[in-house]
Amino acid sequence: MTSENVDDYFSISDILTTQERLPCKVELPIYRLGYLDTSSTSDDLQPGTKLDLSFWMARALCSRKRHIVSVEMPRPYREGYREILTADANVVDLHKLGPYYYSYGVTVTECFQTRIRKIMDSSQNAYNEDTTKLTEKLDETEKCLFKAGQIGLNDFQRWETRQTEKLTTSEMVRSHRKRKRALMDDS
Amino acid sequence: MDPAEVEFLAEKEEISVVPNFTQDKIYLIGGDVGPFNAGLPVKVPLWMAINLKQGQKCRIIPPDWMDTERLQDKKQEETDSKFFTEMPSPHFMEITQLLLKCATDDIPHADEIRTLVKDIWDLRIAKLRSSIDTFLKSDATHAKLNYLTLMELNTARPFLTKALDQMHLLRSNLSGRIQSTQE
Repeated sequence: MTSENVDDYFSISDILTTQERLPCKVELPIYRLGYLDTSSTSDDLQPGTKLDLSFWMARALCSRKRHIVSVEMPRPYREGYREILTADANVVDLHKLGPYYYSYGVTVTECFQTRIRKIMDSSQNAYNEDTTKLTEKLDETEKCLFKAGQIGLNDFQRWETRQTEKLTTSEMVRSHRKRKRALMDDS
Repeated sequence: MDPAEVEFLAEKEEISVVPNFTQDKIYLIGGDVGPFNAGLPVKVPLWMAINLKQGQKCRIIPPDWMDTERLQDKKQEETDSKFFTEMPSPHFMEITQLLLKCATDDIPHADEIRTLVKDIWDLRIAKLRSSIDTFLKSDATHAKLNYLTLMELNTARPFLTKALDQMHLLRSNLSGRIQSTQE
């Protein structure tokens, strides 16, 4: 697992990513936290207890300086899954494996490279369509990419159909007016 | 970048018009235009040509590449070549779009031209997409594409930059891990 998640501190997707739980094994006794393991009645967490911890917690507890827990490789990143990905990465439902698949894995670059073609083609060809079917198997990063592709396509299509030259009310002005009206109604 | 901004840049291209009025040189920041003599062709920027046309003050002479035969050849060349071929104008898409909107009566076979240009565009976009794919699949750090036009780049830009960012992140994770195990 890498600790190099160089995302913005306030980035929502970073926060959501580090929420994902990882299977961990306690290596040292942790006193007075026995309630974390609901199956035991003792006051302390014994070494060898298995726990699911959030990524941010596991990262703090499993560093070179203090090795309080050891982290196990989550299932979707183990050998078997890697073989599936090498076979054909296009058909795997990444969303089911974990919506933030890429943010965790390190051996997935090739998987990403294979899938990118499909995302690119689908995002740049789906104009005025329901895209939920296309995006349901994508992980969050890929969805973000899909959106970027759609922006490119939509901007171009709007230009080609000459919709960009029509002046429209700016969103801010419109909502400001609405708010004003609501205020007037209230008083 | 907005397609409208690309169009704005394309409007600086020069085009010949035949005015039906006479006027002295006009001095503009971007350069002098004119003098206009009724019936004599003169080169003006595209934006001015469109403006004059809308006021019915001129007839637009289509650029010499805007011709069914030339475009047919271009399309054939584009289909045959594995790489991008040079376009007659760096803003061919925008110019066609603008001229066909306001000066259809000045351009012979306007509909055919529209279809041909659209065909060429589609060919090129498909090529662009497959080259992006090969680029991302290979572990190359840079790629060189000749004769791409601004508008084409513009449609691929949001996707491509994001995808490359993501690749970079995945790769730096990888090398970061190797480094930390070596420490």
